This record gives sequence, C-alpha cells and structure tokens, in this order.
Amino acid sequence: MTASPSLLEVKDIRKHYGAIKAVDGVSLSVDPGEIVGVIGPNGSGKTTLFNSILGQIKPTSGNVEFCGEDITGMSPLQLSRRGVGRTFQTLQVFVKLSVRDNLIAAAQEFKGTMPSRLFAPPDAGLGYHADEMIELFRLKHVAHLPAGSLSYGQQKLIDIAMAFMPAPQLVLLDEPCAGVNPILVDELHDLLVNLNRTQGGSFVVIEHNMDFIMKLCAHVVCMVEGKVLAEGPPAEVQSNRQVLEAYLGN
Amino acid sequence: MGELIHLVVSGTATGAIYALAALGFTLLWQASNTVNFAQGEFVMLPAFMMLFFIGTLGTPLWLAFLLTCPVAMLLLGYTFKRVIVDPLIRHGVIPLVIATLGLAIGLKQLVKASVTAQAQPFDSAFPNGLLTMGTITVSYADVGTLLLAGMIVIGLQLFLNRTLTGRAMQAVAQNTEAAKVLGINVQRMVLYTFLINAVLAVVTALLITPTYLAKFDMGESIGLKAFYAAIIGGFNQARGALLGGVLVGVLENLTGAYVSAAYKEGVALLLFMIVIIVRPEGLLGKPEERKV
Repeated sequence: MTASPSLLEVKDIRKHYGAIKAVDGVSLSVDPGEIVGVIGPNGSGKTTLFNSILGQIKPTSGNVEFCGEDITGMSPLQLSRRGVGRTFQTLQVFVKLSVRDNLIAAAQEFKGTMPSRLFAPPDAGLGYHADEMIELFRLKHVAHLPAGSLSYGQQKLIDIAMAFMPAPQLVLLDEPCAGVNPILVDELHDLLVNLNRTQGGSFVVIEHNMDFIMKLCAHVVCMVEGKVLAEGPPAEVQSNRQVLEAYLGN
Repeated sequence: MGELIHLVVSGTATGAIYALAALGFTLLWQASNTVNFAQGEFVMLPAFMMLFFIGTLGTPLWLAFLLTCPVAMLLLGYTFKRVIVDPLIRHGVIPLVIATLGLAIGLKQLVKASVTAQAQPFDSAFPNGLLTMGTITVSYADVGTLLLAGMIVIGLQLFLNRTLTGRAMQAVAQNTEAAKVLGINVQRMVLYTFLINAVLAVVTALLITPTYLAKFDMGESIGLKAFYAAIIGGFNQARGALLGGVLVGVLENLTGAYVSAAYKEGVALLLFMIVIIVRPEGLLGKPEERKV
C-alpha cells in the first residue's frame, strides 16, 4: 500500500447496470480540509458515485482509497468507524427520538467499549457535544421535541448535524439544500464553512444550487452521463462552454 | 363485587404473562421485521430446561431459572438469529414465517420424542395461599406474577429509554438505513432484541408452566394468545402488547365465570377478529407504510 497525499482518492470508478453506464470511469481526489462540489444534471450519476464510494452499492470496477487504505466495497459501518460520514437526499432522522437524542444516537458507537455502553446513561458524556451542535445549528428551542414533529428544513439540519456528531474526517453531503428555503441555505453555507474550519474535515457536496456550490467549494466537478465533463475552480467550471450546454442544451 | 375484583386481578395476572410473550413478538418485529411463530415453543423449551436443572442437578427453582436464562439467550436468541433469521430475512417476511412455523413443529416433536410426551408438574415460584383484604381475596401467585411481570416491563422500558444502548436500539427500529450510515452496529442491536426476547420467554415459562404444566405442546396456546395480544394491542407498539395481553387475560376470566368456561378459549380469537376488521393497526398501533 502506498501512502497517498489525498484524503480520498477515487480511481476510475464504474457502475454499469447492463447497458446503462450510471458511472463510467470517474476519478476524483479530495485533500484534507478541502470542500469539493459535484454538479451535473439529473441522472448524471452523482448519487450512484456517492453510493459506490460509500459501499452502499458495489462498483463494477475501480477502487476507492481513504487515507491510503483501499475502502472499496466496505460496509457503511466500517466506513463510519474510519471517519467517513454521509447525508442523504431524503431525510434520515429518527422520528420518535428527540432532536438531542438523535444527535447522541449518531455518535454513540464511538463512545467507550461495547460493555460500557450497554447500561450507560442515555447521553453517556455525549450530551455536551450534542448541546454544542444544537447551539451551532440553532436548534436549541426544539432540542427536546421529537424530530418527526419538526419542519422539513429543521429535520434537514438535524440530518446534517448528525453526520457531523462523530467529528468525521470526510462527509459526503447529497443535496443538502434540496427543499430548504433560501434563508436556511445561507445559514447552511455558514454552518458548513464553520464546521470545515473548526472540525477540519473534508466535504464532498452534491448540489443543484449553483450559488451555494460556487460560494462553498474550492474545487468543482461537473458530471454528465456518468463521466466527468469538467473540473477545476468554480468560476472556471461555471464558464465552461460544455458545462453550459449540458445544463441548458445547445 | 369481591368476586369480580378477584376475577379481574387473576385475569390481569394471566394477561401479564401473555403480555410478556407478546412483548417479545413486538420487539422482534420492530427491530428486524421478524414474526416468530415459534414464540410459544420458545416458552416451552425453557420450562423443560428448568426441569432439567431441577431434576438432574437438584437446583432450587430460582437457580434453575437463572441457569436457564443464559442457555436460552444462546439457543433461542443468538442461534435462532444466526441460523434461521439472518439467512432468511433478506428474502422477506413470508419465508421466515414459514420457517418459524416449521421450527415450532420441530421443537414440539423433538421434546415429545426425546424427553417426554407426558405433562410434567412444575412448582410455582410463589407460595400457595390466598391474600385477603376485606372482601377481596387474591392468590399470592397472582400478586407475585403481577409484581414480577411489572418489574420486567418497567426494567425493559428503563433499558430502552434510559440507556445509550436502548436508545440506539430504538434508532435501529425507527430507521435502519440511517442507523447503519451513522455507524450504529445494527446487527448487534438486533441481536440484543433477540436476547431480550429469549429472557422474556424464560420468565413467561416460569410464570405460566405451574398452570399449563410442562408439556411439549404447551406453547401452542401461549404462542397463539401472545400473537393475538400483540395484534389486538398493535404489533408495532410495546405498550400495545401489554394492553392486548391484559385485555385477553381479563376477558377470558370474565367469560369463563359469567358466560361459560367452554367459550373462554374463544375470547381472544373473537377480539382478534374484531380488531382486525375494525382497527387493523391494533388498539394502540400506528399504520405502517410499506415501500414497494
């Protein structure tokens, strides 16, 4: 195994469903602390790429390295242990647990040993960290309500906060702004910048909101029909003629 | 009036036993979509295990109970999950239902052929005798049963609601996919549920066997009643199992006393049919969405 300077190295990943090439030879590199954006029209293979990286589906070929270790095909649990988290397009909160308990549940596997967790009190020393996150995500006034009783936007924030609870080194965010109002989008941007600075993690963000992605990311990858069409600094990708054609048509 | 109270108390005690077995049904369903139709046989086996410890090693009942718990956790919890549930659950609910029906038949025949076909007496964990308070007379066994079942239920609720692991188990029951991605060890949480179910079965055996006697087919009745109780109360709610169990126990007793002992066994079935028609999600249950 050779040491890689990158945190995440995706090498020539392919995911084919029969004749359909959902992801067709995508390579991607994420440095420590970097925020990378992935854009592309619907059906361009962005989420399939995420699922291939995160072991939710088995790629047809190619491999994924994290901190120099081959993590291709590892289960979400194994990846989580190594410091890789994700959020989904759809909400994935525990609807009956309170907001605070959702955050604690998100980090519980990282606290102590299995026997010590068995009868540990419900916050098990994670309460302080959960409260910090609640403060950061401005959820204090709803912290004790069941997550399922809150608005979509608030649940989205819980979802994202949960992914950051174990202080992962890498988080893959799948359309964090989908269905979120414009004011919350700005807040979300500030939050992610803040978390990137304080926790020092790297993010890969799939998003259709161009303003959001252009402001947030230092590096943007544009995918079309399972392939990388263009990549580079946001301004450069945004003005790329092929990217414009892919979005707007000829 | 005194008689009515006596009937309600003893019915509640019997119902509490049904509720313990029903609780196992709902826990397994919530954690892993497992419907265990061998639940009654999971009660029968520990009864014979306890008799084995008492007969062979000469242990007192309480020690036999304590020794049976880890054996049941290993056989009816861990082994059941690894050998039958894990390989079949990915194919859906129905193959597992058929497998547990087969397991029930297999366990009954195994005990019948290798141990005994005769009913074996089983000592009560509580002293004989009656407790009289004014006009009300209740047996020590009923009071003891209620206390023990109550303690188990409260203990279980405290574990599920007041411990880190209990909360993680709830998280798994509510959203397995999210739990996986967040690094919660889903398989281990599901295993805990199976281990809890095994212990509930041992407690149920301890409480019900003095009445039913230890016999290879004793599980048929308790398994069926527990299933009815779980459906009546709401299959996806632990509280529902408790309500369903107590309701069945009390109505059985009242029917036996005021209508006819012949109809006693039919009460649970009647209530089950009414609930299925009028409120299929159960009295306290919530309708479940199914993704197709």
